[in-house]
Amino acid sequence: MTGSGLVTLVTFLPLVGAIVVAFTNGERANQARYAALGFALLTWVVSLVMLTQFVSSPGTTQFIDQAPWIPAFGIQYKVGADGLSMVLVVLTTTLTWISILASFSPIQNRVKEYMISFLVLEVGMTGVFVAQDLFLFYIFWEIVLVPMYLIIGIWGGKNRIYATIKFVLYTLVGSLLMLVAILATAFLYQSGHGGSWANAFDLASLVAWAGEGHFSGTFGILAFGAFALAFAIKVPMFPFHTWLPDAHVEAPTAGSVILAGVLLKLGGYGFIRFAIPLFPEAAHSWAPLIIVLSLIGIIYGAIVALVQPDLKKLVAYSSVSHMGFVTLGIFTFQQQALQGAILQMVNHGLITGALFLLVGVIYERTHDRTIAKMGGLGAALPVYSAALGFFVFASVGLPGLSGFVGEFLTLLGTFAAMPAAAVVATFVMIFAAGYLLWMLQRMAFGELSEFLRGLGSHLTDMKPIEAMTLVPLGALVVVFGLYPGLVLTLVSGSVETTIRYATQAAPIALGLWR
Amino acid sequence: MNLSVSPADAVAMAPFIAAVLAAMAVILVDFVWPGRRTAALLTTFVGLAIVAGLILVANEGARTTQNGVSTVFNGSYRVDALTTFLDLLFVSIAGLTAAFAPDYLGERRLPVAEFNATLLFAMTGAMLLAGSADLIVLFLGLELMVLPGYLLAGFHKNDGFSTEGAIKYFLLGSFSSAIFLFGLAFVFGMTGTTRIDGVAGYLKAIVAGTAPFSPALGMGLAFLTTGVAFKIAAVPFHYWTPDAYQGSPTPVTGYLSVGPKVGAFALIIRLFAGALLPMAVQWNVVIIVLAATTMTLGNLVALTQDNVKRMLAYSSIAHTGYMLVGFAAFAAGQAQGLEGLLYYGAAYSFMNLGAFAVIASIQRRTGITSNLSTFAGLIRREPALAWLMTLFLLSLTGIPPTAGFFGKFYVILAAVQAGNTNPWLTGLAVLAMLNAAAAAFYYLRVVVYMFMRDPSEEVASIGHGRLVWAGLAVSTVMTIALGLFPGILLGLVSSAAAAVHVN
Repeated sequence: MTGSGLVTLVTFLPLVGAIVVAFTNGERANQARYAALGFALLTWVVSLVMLTQFVSSPGTTQFIDQAPWIPAFGIQYKVGADGLSMVLVVLTTTLTWISILASFSPIQNRVKEYMISFLVLEVGMTGVFVAQDLFLFYIFWEIVLVPMYLIIGIWGGKNRIYATIKFVLYTLVGSLLMLVAILATAFLYQSGHGGSWANAFDLASLVAWAGEGHFSGTFGILAFGAFALAFAIKVPMFPFHTWLPDAHVEAPTAGSVILAGVLLKLGGYGFIRFAIPLFPEAAHSWAPLIIVLSLIGIIYGAIVALVQPDLKKLVAYSSVSHMGFVTLGIFTFQQQALQGAILQMVNHGLITGALFLLVGVIYERTHDRTIAKMGGLGAALPVYSAALGFFVFASVGLPGLSGFVGEFLTLLGTFAAMPAAAVVATFVMIFAAGYLLWMLQRMAFGELSEFLRGLGSHLTDMKPIEAMTLVPLGALVVVFGLYPGLVLTLVSGSVETTIRYATQAAPIALGLWR
Repeated sequence: MNLSVSPADAVAMAPFIAAVLAAMAVILVDFVWPGRRTAALLTTFVGLAIVAGLILVANEGARTTQNGVSTVFNGSYRVDALTTFLDLLFVSIAGLTAAFAPDYLGERRLPVAEFNATLLFAMTGAMLLAGSADLIVLFLGLELMVLPGYLLAGFHKNDGFSTEGAIKYFLLGSFSSAIFLFGLAFVFGMTGTTRIDGVAGYLKAIVAGTAPFSPALGMGLAFLTTGVAFKIAAVPFHYWTPDAYQGSPTPVTGYLSVGPKVGAFALIIRLFAGALLPMAVQWNVVIIVLAATTMTLGNLVALTQDNVKRMLAYSSIAHTGYMLVGFAAFAAGQAQGLEGLLYYGAAYSFMNLGAFAVIASIQRRTGITSNLSTFAGLIRREPALAWLMTLFLLSLTGIPPTAGFFGKFYVILAAVQAGNTNPWLTGLAVLAMLNAAAAAFYYLRVVVYMFMRDPSEEVASIGHGRLVWAGLAVSTVMTIALGLFPGILLGLVSSAAAAVHVN
């Protein structure tokens, strides 16, 4: 194998952790807990080391580890990271240790299996973000499914089995069609290179070849459709979102955090990394539909969130709305909008992750999530309410907090490319303020509700361990709100490259949209 | 006709002869030490090891010939890379079945020695089938393979379901054999030869327009296709499968779902890819339709099953469909289709045998059904078996990085490539993937029961023999290795697929 091995380390360290956890004593749950946390933290540190070593130079993929794997089909083990991968990998490693820490007290049942699932999940997620070979990418993409399936299905709520099967089936339909498209793409490359399979699954080679217009026409339209379906289900885009509320509501808290924080990003990442560079012409042809669906998703998610009686469902639908901004930003093919979309992915991961943690905190005390039963938490649980208020405002998009910058940049870029879409999306932000602030009002303000009073001494404020999971997220929300440049410089290279792929291919089509 | 046996011929026939001798040795050993399981098992495994060794020797003999093929008995039996690949697969299947069965049989007071001897005879038939270069030998091999299968299906003779399943299997099996033989007669009558290359030559002449095509030959082809479709349980010729599979003793079901299936595919390869290839354009339409209906219907019916054995029976129909996709791609001109089919066959053998081994282990104590409820809470009772079952089920679903995934990958790759010239194949590839997604539902349902449901009543866990664990270890290693490092088999399948055309 050639390469520094750093990316390989960060990807497979959690797997080592999973194996170690498997050998802990099942009777003593703390062994599994601390071993898992240790490995998650270690992975996080490695990812930070990688981040410090990362020199942002435009469009280059660094830390490439490469080894032949299945030479008969030109399939390689090839991983590496550019700015976008780097940001999302750090997001993954951060949220993973936070999730594991947040599971210490809620998960009391089969802790060992739970921790193994989480660590394996981390391998899959990180792998998707660093894979530079389509076959390898697909494998990581599918690996993510299995642990998430178990996490929702075993440790989830009442309706968990329905939710988890729905989640898996939705995702599988998309990804299996994507597999056909991957194979067709590789085959086209192979037959265009004298029948040699060399590099037929290599992302860089395929993208370079795509740049010469080889994946255009009907093939490109269909193949992009298959890729886009897989990613749209994952994002999730309206009308493929129906698995999300179920999965979120039934998943354990940490499962929701990872689901919202990282799994949804796999879709956005897939669009930027695979769908657009491989099929730029087709991306332009599909863009109007995707933009319309994004707008519908933004509006629909917000309106449905407004009427949700269940706190967790409200946050889940707000995800549909927020992720609409991501796909909107990506498919305007405009630099600022894309920057905004990437920022929005990171912010949504931090903010929605934190909101799900907060939902978990109150649920552990009340065993209920009905907003109507809450009220007056501000006086009873001041720390909790302050934290809830903070993240609610971040989610609404209060300037100075990170949520604002992402949406602002997306809208700015969209406005430059297609004003109408931007106007609609901006209008919807009022709804976002509506459902979130109304929720905050019903939760925190007023008299302590009868239901909460009945809990008596069970209603305690946040424990240190719970605060520990929220503080890093809050800090990052403030830092990225004030210095969004931290993320933007990192991803500038990736953004430029993606825009170049997208605009080079079909400047005429873009012109039509102006 | 020259029937003298040269040393080279002896080498080529040695694995086959050794397999027959091994089967007889098992009976003999049981005659000398009646009821001694260990003796019978030892003889079986030593016999299998010798057969495997001789297969490699025979392969070496074939490899050193000019074109990589050694033929025996006037060209009616051949050893080439394909024969070697399939023979080794059959030996593995027989070995694993022999490892999984004793626990289950012993608890039910069924004789192990007779079981193993019957199994070895069936394996012998499959081996003869794999290397046949003559239609008569092909039929002999087919019958030698399936006759012991009927016995095995009814092995639990005090069990009504076992007997019922065996009778259905036997009736439809002999019925389809008759149809097949009828087809062979037509082909022989019209082409004047029973040699596979002879038939191929005649068909080539028909396609070239130098020989007449008679309706009788068309009927022969139709009969052959029907007979073969019965043997692989392709829809709509699948009705015997669920009953035969559900009724048979579980280790036998495991064997029946892979041994005779791969054997029947060997038959298809030798017959259609060998003898009938010149008319591929004509019969491939049928294969495409069969593949589409087989995988779709198998999956749809499997969705509603509450009995895991029956569910796996229908799922094995669906897997037949996936393998047929590979074959259709091959017939459409993609050599990779045949490679994919062979890879899929190997992957399917190991993962499906593993799944059935887990079921057999859970059912070791008599009176335990294979209903889904049996699996409820298995993770608490027998965590190791639950995790292994999950692995096999994920592999059957086609989730990477498992053998089942790479099998699907290979077959679909071939179909997509063939879709370049024949758009129907692209459709077939998409249909196969949608089917795979649907299949996830019923495979994962078992996982749901094992991990997420509590058992209705507490059942004490049962111990399992070392042989079962060893067999499970082999299945597990192969299921993972064939997914992570497909390279170990790619060379073999590509030379095996290439050997079909060499005369």
